[in-house]
Amino acid sequence: MGPHIVSAFDDDLIAVQARISEMGGLAEDMLSSALEAVKNRDPQLANEVIMRDKRLDALEMQVEELATRVIALRQPMAGDLRLMISALKMASTLERIGDLAKNIARRAVYLASVRPVKVSTSIVRMGTQTLGQLTEVLDAYTSRDTDLAVSIWQRDIEVDEMYNAIFREVVTYMMEDPRTIGLGSQLLFIAKNLERIGDHTTHLAEMVYYIVEGEPLGDDRPKGEPIGLEGL
Amino acid sequence: MTNMRMTEKNLKDRENKISAKGVDVFYGDTHAIKDVDVNILNNTVTAFIGPSGCGKSTFLRCLNRMNDTIDIARVTGQILLDGDDIYDKSVDPVTLRARVGMVFQKPNPFPKSIYDNIAYGPRIHGLVNNKAELDEVVEKSLRRAAIWDEAKDRLDQPGTGLSGGQQQRLCIARAIATAPEVLLMDEPCSALDPIATAQIEELIDELRQDFAVVIVTHSMQQAARVSQKTAFFHLGVVAEYGDTNQIFTNPVDKRTQDYITGRFG
Repeated sequence: MGPHIVSAFDDDLIAVQARISEMGGLAEDMLSSALEAVKNRDPQLANEVIMRDKRLDALEMQVEELATRVIALRQPMAGDLRLMISALKMASTLERIGDLAKNIARRAVYLASVRPVKVSTSIVRMGTQTLGQLTEVLDAYTSRDTDLAVSIWQRDIEVDEMYNAIFREVVTYMMEDPRTIGLGSQLLFIAKNLERIGDHTTHLAEMVYYIVEGEPLGDDRPKGEPIGLEGL
Repeated sequence: MTNMRMTEKNLKDRENKISAKGVDVFYGDTHAIKDVDVNILNNTVTAFIGPSGCGKSTFLRCLNRMNDTIDIARVTGQILLDGDDIYDKSVDPVTLRARVGMVFQKPNPFPKSIYDNIAYGPRIHGLVNNKAELDEVVEKSLRRAAIWDEAKDRLDQPGTGLSGGQQQRLCIARAIATAPEVLLMDEPCSALDPIATAQIEELIDELRQDFAVVIVTHSMQQAARVSQKTAFFHLGVVAEYGDTNQIFTNPVDKRTQDYITGRFG
């Protein structure tokens, strides 16, 4: 696409996309640090993650303001319109990813205060997978790579399956020793947060696809069966 | 939000009112329209958009043979109205124009009373038998053009005394007084303020219940708001023709994309 006749329009579009990229980078960084805090039992790093969420919230507000202004003043059409609508949705999705990362960090503070457990490593592995997909979807956004977006979208089932495995593992653990129920619940919440981040990542992939192709990716994404509901 | 609701309706069952096939227009040596195929559906607003000089008005004027009035203009190809060739020798252009009415860019009321502006068409085409019938046609046309309330107490006053927006609605009332089947509008709102524009747009949507409406507009937002079908003209050809919703959210042709997003150099 060439430049707009009104060059200030281009500046606005670039500004919105730059904010989205910044939000993406920040959310990615928060998740990565939160996982590190879980792995290394580092409450200080966890607290830093909690602080960084404020910046992400502020950026979301900025994207909303900018995109609303562009829609009101410039009446974007076609690809430009899709970009603005997607920016609004992506900003709110990235903000939620940030919230979930912050929640993981909060639980990391707790985990650091109790005795280490074996399940933490499975969770860190699941976290690495989730983080990898988030990084990839942000790359797909920057390079407008729909093939990559579709592949991430299809791969979320792996995260779902990891979640189910962790769920079973932690429940077994809690049944063996009821004194670990408090700790086990924290681990389940972390795993659930990661699973939600995976879902949000597929939503970002759908947005990338929509921006480029102008049509929705569809809703027949391969999904893991929610644990405990099999056969219902 | 009448417009939105109407846009959602299914276009598939609408029948063709006008089918244009392989239409070329020449002004002397200038080849203004090149091999254009467009269908105008009944009860549908079709918008023609495109940069200045792309041929959209020229093509619009082919649909009721307004180009006949230009000596050097030559039209080839086929334009069928309900299956009949409008360029056939047996077709009287005046009768054709009563069936395919037109509203122009600038309001152009006759220098006559409001009443006579509307009564002129039905009188010369012999559509009414007596004064009572004529009164009825005048009132009905003014009502349908949403100007009755403003005009009913001053029917004997000159049409030129109305405001710009009122004059344009008067011209629309005049165009529909002959009970046309198709209404052609060449930038009907370009001289109007936003309120008058909104009134005309609301009116266009109402008129669609009975006519096929074709509108040429430079306002992309207007095309998006009022039409269900859009044809994008570029350098005398139709670059893209499709559902308005698709043209404005996901155009296929690169030229359409560039134009509607404001990227035309």
